[in-house]
Amino acid sequence: MPVLSILIALPFIGALIVSLLPRRRPEIVFPVALGVSLAPLAVVLYVLSEFPVGDPNIQFPEFHVVSETFGIAWQLGIDGISLFMVALTAILFPISIAASRSVTDKLKTYMVLLLLLEGAVLGVFLALDMIIFFAFFEIVLIPMYLLISMWGSENRRYASIKFVLFTATGSAFLLVGIVALAILAGDLVGTASSFNFAVMLQVPMSDTTQLWLFAAFGIAFAIKVPLFPFHTWLPDAHTEAPTAGSVILAGVLLKMGTYGLLRFNLMLFPDAVVDAAPVLGVLGVIGIVYGAAVAIVQPDVKRLIAYSSVSHMGFIVLGTFALTSQALEGALFLMISHGLTTGALFLLIGMIYERTHTRAIADYGGLAKVMPEYSGIFLFIIFASAGLPGLSGFVGEFMILIGTYLTMPVLAVIAGFGVILAAVYLLWAYERVFTGPTNPKLEGLKDLGFREIAIMVPLVVLIIGLGVYPKPVMERISPSVEIILERIEAETDYEVPTFGRAEDVAQVAEAGVGEGQG
Amino acid sequence: MQNMSWLAVSFEVVLLVGALAVLLVAVVSGRSRAVWGPIVGLAFALSFVAGLWQWSAVADGQGGMFFSAQNVEIAVSPMVVLDGYSAFAAMLLGAVGFFGFLGSWDLQVRLGKRAAEFSALMLLGVAGLHMMAATPNLLVIFVGLETASISFYILAGFTRKARGSDESALKYFLLGSLASALFLYGVALTFAATGSLSLYGANSIRDFFVNNILTEPGVLLVGMALMLVGLMFKVSAAPFHQWAPDVYQGAPSGAVGLMAAGVKVAGFAALGRIFVAGLASQIDVWGPIFAGVAAVSMIVGTTMALVQDDLKRLLAYSGVAHAGYLLAALVAGYDGFEAMWFYLATYAFMVVGAFTVVSVVNGPGSSSTSLSTLKGLASRNPHLAWLMAVIMLGMSGMPFFAGFVGKALAFVAAGQADYLWLVVVGTLTTVIGLAFYLRVVSTMFQTADSNDLGQVEMSATSNVTVLVAAGVTLVFGVLPWPLLEVVRDALPL
Repeated sequence: MPVLSILIALPFIGALIVSLLPRRRPEIVFPVALGVSLAPLAVVLYVLSEFPVGDPNIQFPEFHVVSETFGIAWQLGIDGISLFMVALTAILFPISIAASRSVTDKLKTYMVLLLLLEGAVLGVFLALDMIIFFAFFEIVLIPMYLLISMWGSENRRYASIKFVLFTATGSAFLLVGIVALAILAGDLVGTASSFNFAVMLQVPMSDTTQLWLFAAFGIAFAIKVPLFPFHTWLPDAHTEAPTAGSVILAGVLLKMGTYGLLRFNLMLFPDAVVDAAPVLGVLGVIGIVYGAAVAIVQPDVKRLIAYSSVSHMGFIVLGTFALTSQALEGALFLMISHGLTTGALFLLIGMIYERTHTRAIADYGGLAKVMPEYSGIFLFIIFASAGLPGLSGFVGEFMILIGTYLTMPVLAVIAGFGVILAAVYLLWAYERVFTGPTNPKLEGLKDLGFREIAIMVPLVVLIIGLGVYPKPVMERISPSVEIILERIEAETDYEVPTFGRAEDVAQVAEAGVGEGQG
Repeated sequence: MQNMSWLAVSFEVVLLVGALAVLLVAVVSGRSRAVWGPIVGLAFALSFVAGLWQWSAVADGQGGMFFSAQNVEIAVSPMVVLDGYSAFAAMLLGAVGFFGFLGSWDLQVRLGKRAAEFSALMLLGVAGLHMMAATPNLLVIFVGLETASISFYILAGFTRKARGSDESALKYFLLGSLASALFLYGVALTFAATGSLSLYGANSIRDFFVNNILTEPGVLLVGMALMLVGLMFKVSAAPFHQWAPDVYQGAPSGAVGLMAAGVKVAGFAALGRIFVAGLASQIDVWGPIFAGVAAVSMIVGTTMALVQDDLKRLLAYSGVAHAGYLLAALVAGYDGFEAMWFYLATYAFMVVGAFTVVSVVNGPGSSSTSLSTLKGLASRNPHLAWLMAVIMLGMSGMPFFAGFVGKALAFVAAGQADYLWLVVVGTLTTVIGLAFYLRVVSTMFQTADSNDLGQVEMSATSNVTVLVAAGVTLVFGVLPWPLLEVVRDALPL
């Protein structure tokens, strides 16, 4: 059974169903959209249950030749790298749809766009044919653009077009890179081009070629991440986007960048990776410190979270290019964790924004007395985001720091300050919003309702679960990560430091958790 | 005259007979639209069938060169060629003509009694366009060019009383005839240098270069340059594009679609026939020029489109950029034909669809069409807004829309011909282009300035045209393979 094709098709079918709902019955749009968005989640749960532990191979492979001459195939597959990205996508979309209760303007279009977006994102994570990957990667822009520009706040037009131009510029380089590589791969198999990822892996390339192609791919993904200095679109897009848009943007869309770096840059261009790793590591660290420092002074709470994303994504890039097992696994783990925590933060901000219609930190104060449940959950998520041991954020950051220390000790130390800065900006923001004398305008606000708590519960459970017991995730990630490192070692003189190949890395993480709790 | 073939000229014959029939019937029947309207539609439909017939004949090996006179030295050359190239052009022009006519139906309704002439000119113009694609003879290309151009000069000025229409027509006529003259002069100089007007066959230009090397190629170079300028003008490639925005803006909206799409198809067919096929040996000379013009067109078209506030001017500048992408495909020589035809076949429908939308929103006789008239279209006619969004995304080159496949093919062709810099320019301008295509889309989804504008009514004919245009954009964007199989055989002899 073509499980993955079905998985990609389900949101598109859902979008079709929602778009065909009768115009006279606007009240059924929300439940139907929520219902159809749960279908991919069901498939993902099945995939998760069937996914074998410790197997680095591509699971659920699908291969249907589309064009012989151009070497294009409908090629899908899932491995440890994409598994949890897909899971994250399938979890966050129903949640963001459920959080969109207050959208009334053109609700049907809104839901259709969200579902189209989900299908496209799933396509990005599952495609193993570069042109199919690119097609999904690029098409993600359109629903996201429309979501921001139609349902965003005051400055949405500027923010949405900036978002499109930045990311599309990146994709332009990506397309050039893919076409060039496909032509090289085509020479190998005797066709005009070949977009098959497995064939591309075998293309012999000189160091210069690798470096150019690495740059073409790297720019595209670095903009998407976004890596300093390409990050300027992110705060604008986040601030102006509607709640669901921000959640998806932070939770899933940014991961497309780090996923691309991990899967494509590391695998395809090992020589260039070894050469460029210090540069990208430094950029990652700049992102960590800069993002955190700028976040401290933001007057707008959504901008603050946006800059915290820049900082966290810097961690992920640093972990990716530290080239050790721990750091790579930590990077993947942090991708999951960041999706959960930052998604949750944007959801919470969306909930309060619906009540007060302001995002300025100065307009708040003493909210904890008015909305105790809300502030409790908020504090919990802040702890997770800041990397409190026992919660999911800690595992990823800790492993990245350990892994990075083996190859880039200086960067690891600087990055460590990023963790402290994260605590500063998050807790200071909490202090200003929730404690102190209550702002009279906030009196009488209703605390969270049943629907809002129901939205937050799965995220809270996952954050605790992954923080306390990361092993199920780790043991599925690590074989795929080992493959990447083995390939880099085989193709170049680079050797992963011995401690970096610790037999059971998950144990290290758990040990770390224990230490922190003690 | 030797070896006549009705098959090879069936496309032109059908359209000419149709044009005459329309004029006659209009005189006899008191000019009732109900009578001659179907005739025009039928003529275009039959011309498409003629194209299909030619295509299957070529597939059976019945292609070749016809209408030649063996004994006179100059006229040894054949006048008509029947090959995959001309047959595909026939199918494409027939289909574009049909839907261009459908899209202009609202305008014809408004024109009343004068509409018969309007339709007849459309038929004649499309016949001329196909002549440009279906001949190996430079002079016949010129005749086709003039037949089409003169028809379109008149179409552009057909709503004489509308502000802008006469100015548009005059501008088109003055600049267009200058370009035609330049082209003709180029033909003459090429003849002087090579001694032949025929692109291939016995005693042809292609033969000439097989047997000779020009030690002083000055005359040939000037001839080639002039032909190039003439045709680049017609396809509105920068820096020969200045007429396009003014003419598109001034001409009645209902008429622009067919003009813009048809001329692009035929212009590129002629460029391909003359340079890529006929002057293939000179690719080192014209290849870099094509690449340079392509880059300039992409950059100028895209940046100028960014600052337009008039929808038709915006589409005109986007057309300049598209000319650039098409030229990028041709720098690869023969390998670029596949990309060129795929691009043209999908782009032509998008152009017709987009101008039909303009005509629906602003009225078929409208001259200037501010972008703000699209505001609130999503609530005033959601169906139309979504179709227009599909067409705009198609033009912008988003994946899953036909424009992406065309651009990707063009870039692969240019890349394989070692014009990687052109690929980079092309992809970057594609990105910048997103800004104005998305601007059109987001304008449609904005809230209208006032609520009492009411629904935008759309006639059935316009509806079908836009629906087909959007359908082509989506279907060949998601499943380009059937069309790719076809265009692979659309090669000149």
